[in-house]
Amino acid sequence: MRKAIALTLMVIFIGAGSLLMGGEKLTGLDIMKKVYYRPSPKDMTAELVMTLINSNGDKRVRKIRQYIKDYGKVEKKIMFFIAPADVRNTSFMNWSYDDPNKDDDQWIYLPALKKIKRISSEDKSDYFMGSDFTYDDLGNRLPEEDNHKIIREEKLNGEDCYVIENTPKDPDYMYSKTITWVVKGKWIGIKRKFYDEDGEFLKELTAEKYENIKGYWILARVKMHNVQKDHTTVMELKNIKVDTGIPDRMFTERMMKRGVR
Amino acid sequence: MKEKLLKFSWLVLIAILLITVASVLVMKKYSRLETNLDKYMPENHPAFVYSNKAEKWFHIKDAVVIAIENKSGVFNYSTLKKIKDITKKLQRMKEIKRTDVTSLYTADNIVSSEGSLDVKKFYKRVPKDKESLENLKKEVENNEMIFGRLVSRDETVAIILARIDNDIFTQEFYNRILSMAKEYEGPEKIYVAGRPIVEGTLAYLMPKDMKRMVPIVVFVIIIVLLLVLRSFKSTFFTLMVVLISTLWTFGLMAALHIPIYAVTTMIPVMLIAIGVAYGIHLYNHLQLFIKENPNASKKEAVHDMLSEMWKPVLMTAITTMVGFISLLTSQVYPVKYFGVFAAFGVFIALTLSLGMIPASIYVFGMPGFKKQAGEESPEKSFYFRATDRIIKAKPIILIITILVVGISIYGISKVWISSSFLAKFEKNSDIRKTDRFINEHFGGTTTLNVILEGKDKDTIKKPEVLRTILEMQKEVEKLPLVGSSFSLGDFIKRMNKVMHADREEYDTIPDNQNLIAQYLLLYEMSGDPENLARVADYKYKKANVTFQLKSDDSKALKEAIAVIEKFKDKLKKEGIEIHYAGSGYKALVFTDLLLEGQIKSLLLSLVIVVILLTIMFKKFSIGLIGAIPITITTIVTFGVMGLLNIPLSSTTALISSIAIGIGIDYAIHFIDRYRIYAARTGNKELTSRLTMYHSGRAIFYNALVVIAGFMVLVFSVFPPNRTLGALVSMNMLVSFLGTITIMFIILYIKNTYFKRRKV
Repeated sequence: MRKAIALTLMVIFIGAGSLLMGGEKLTGLDIMKKVYYRPSPKDMTAELVMTLINSNGDKRVRKIRQYIKDYGKVEKKIMFFIAPADVRNTSFMNWSYDDPNKDDDQWIYLPALKKIKRISSEDKSDYFMGSDFTYDDLGNRLPEEDNHKIIREEKLNGEDCYVIENTPKDPDYMYSKTITWVVKGKWIGIKRKFYDEDGEFLKELTAEKYENIKGYWILARVKMHNVQKDHTTVMELKNIKVDTGIPDRMFTERMMKRGVR
Repeated sequence: MKEKLLKFSWLVLIAILLITVASVLVMKKYSRLETNLDKYMPENHPAFVYSNKAEKWFHIKDAVVIAIENKSGVFNYSTLKKIKDITKKLQRMKEIKRTDVTSLYTADNIVSSEGSLDVKKFYKRVPKDKESLENLKKEVENNEMIFGRLVSRDETVAIILARIDNDIFTQEFYNRILSMAKEYEGPEKIYVAGRPIVEGTLAYLMPKDMKRMVPIVVFVIIIVLLLVLRSFKSTFFTLMVVLISTLWTFGLMAALHIPIYAVTTMIPVMLIAIGVAYGIHLYNHLQLFIKENPNASKKEAVHDMLSEMWKPVLMTAITTMVGFISLLTSQVYPVKYFGVFAAFGVFIALTLSLGMIPASIYVFGMPGFKKQAGEESPEKSFYFRATDRIIKAKPIILIITILVVGISIYGISKVWISSSFLAKFEKNSDIRKTDRFINEHFGGTTTLNVILEGKDKDTIKKPEVLRTILEMQKEVEKLPLVGSSFSLGDFIKRMNKVMHADREEYDTIPDNQNLIAQYLLLYEMSGDPENLARVADYKYKKANVTFQLKSDDSKALKEAIAVIEKFKDKLKKEGIEIHYAGSGYKALVFTDLLLEGQIKSLLLSLVIVVILLTIMFKKFSIGLIGAIPITITTIVTFGVMGLLNIPLSSTTALISSIAIGIGIDYAIHFIDRYRIYAARTGNKELTSRLTMYHSGRAIFYNALVVIAGFMVLVFSVFPPNRTLGALVSMNMLVSFLGTITIMFIILYIKNTYFKRRKV
């Protein structure tokens, strides 16, 4: 599993990782690679509660059952809406490829229409399901696409962190830079600040809860606050189960139509 | 005694000078022009409170519109590149949020075929080859959300919208946008329009024009004052009264940190019209006194002037102040300020007239009145002859008055109210030309937001509600001045069609509410959720239906609202209430409030003036007679406006205040002299003649000076100021004529002051 930050699992083999560090001087890229390439479970089942809060303080809460499985070159994910009732059983499937030149395959199923549609979205800067996360924010971006610089080391929420500035190599990228707080040894990002194309502070991601399940570090609750729009998204994972051996037939159009069980 | 008076006079003059200098210093430091028209709105009025809330819910903002025209079509490399570049430049401006810029370059294009749904931009890299350009053209034509909205249906114009916050607009910002946009001119033509620009330019132009015109007005007044007063000193001090009282008034305003509003820039105009009268009447009396008593001393002359004139001058000032203070009943703050400060200015003008003018005579000596060639004795004067003619023409004057009043009342029935800001600009001004151009090609530059508020969540997801909304849009769009509309219904229709492979028969609202909910979820997941936030709130309790109008006039807005109100009952059944929001609507409410306040204060001040006159002259009949000129003036003013199709607006409404303020002065001076001469002579004919010779002349001078001064405004480049100039001039003329003809005739016929005396 390669997803770095948000709702997907963030995992590390604590033992091996932390012992190796010793006197070795890590570069910014090394650290970001450790985050990105760290070993992860083969699959995960969880309930995702996504809360969108707009500038008026109104909330939209969505409950989703999601299954994720890593196939090495491709990661497959299927999501079923549980609530609100009028969208129950709407499902969404995403196949994300290791090859950065290959776009994700996406499908949506609307039960009221009884039709599956392939969605092609060329844009990595698209927001994920109306949230404040773009697909890239959810971990699809390779460390090699940015330049990394360790700007300092500091304690955040009692954790020793590297503070790393990430600047994109592509000057037209949607962010002019991001700043990431990576926990030493756990190799998870627990805070990230995003700056827009004009260099203005755009949004801030915070990991509010992360837990160790079966030896994997998992960000169980993350919050993204877009300061320019004053819009917030909170994503919380519940009933997390890892490595349960989700069967391959879970990620098919047939399953999308079947709905939540 | 003489020494003391002289010393005291010097003291008075020096004190006045010092206060004036202080006022100027304070003004320099604290005077601030308020150009944000929102600051004029009564924030606590329910309509405004609601509109402001709705603006927050749905991110309703006015947009600056940049239109790019290419007569040979916009689908070519150069024009598309310009759209992209201007969009990016706007997005980078500090005052504008990135997501608030909309153009073909930023818009999402959602298309679908049988098995797939495609969300993409129309273009990112500007297409060069024929085929991609042709494709782009087809995609735009097929997208109802874009075609006719961001690209005109004849494909020669594309627009870029930059929504900005109300308080951001400055002239400097406008110039920056303008010069940025103009860089892209050729062969394409670039236009910049939109309500923020109209409002901003208006708030900037009006005071600017005043600043340019006031010196010319003052200059003309100087000339006419010299002609009628025939003395440099009299002219100088009459003028000083006006100028100093204006400075003190604005100084006080600055000291209290109250900004200068467009309305309050009319205060100098008011003070000029009113303030010169005091000087004219005082000097007129002085002149006549010297003529009759050529050997009188300075002290005697001043003493006579003050003892004979302090009362009518004071009375005129009080009634004028009452007229202004009655504006406190207005709900509009700048109008309240206008009333209070204009009243203050009048008070200062009064004090200065009674203080500075006598003091100046002690210090600088008597004004040397130039003798007019062939000056005749009172008995042979023009005024005596005129009096006889007026008395002879009694029946004709009565008939003419009745006719004029009758026609005016008919005219009043045609008066209409305009909340239009655009109408304040020249017909062939750039702003109006651009506005017309965009209105020809797109839905319209004026926005009316209709807010539908349901009781429960998901109310506006209901198919029947969405259908009613669409039906309402269709009905309103039938009006010629309504160009287009936009609502959640349009989104759902589009999604339904797209999800059914663009088949026309699905360009409808589906029956299944769950499907609607799922479409919305899909749109949120694939499109820009910001677009949804502009038409529906998070809980789907409230909807924002946007209408684009081709005119910012109250007429257009009211017509649209009348059609919308027809759907009230139907929506009520679903528990939905109709509200309105947006700058166009606020301007409408504002204008109505302003006029309501004006009319209330007009009636109130009329009543108070009658009461005051009754008290002053100790006769109720005099109270009524004195009110004749102002009543006629008010009727004629509104009548002429109706007949000449001049709408009542924020500027023209205030003119009625001048009508009262000035008209009443003429009446008071005239009646007071009439009373004095009646007591002295006991002869009605002689009283009439002498009154005309004394007050009639001063009133005539006064009217002449002010009319000449205000006619200058007719040459202003700013139409509202032209209207102001013409209407004030007419006002003065009617007040003057009303006083010396009909009011005098009635005074004469009624035998007031002669009843117990045999003539």
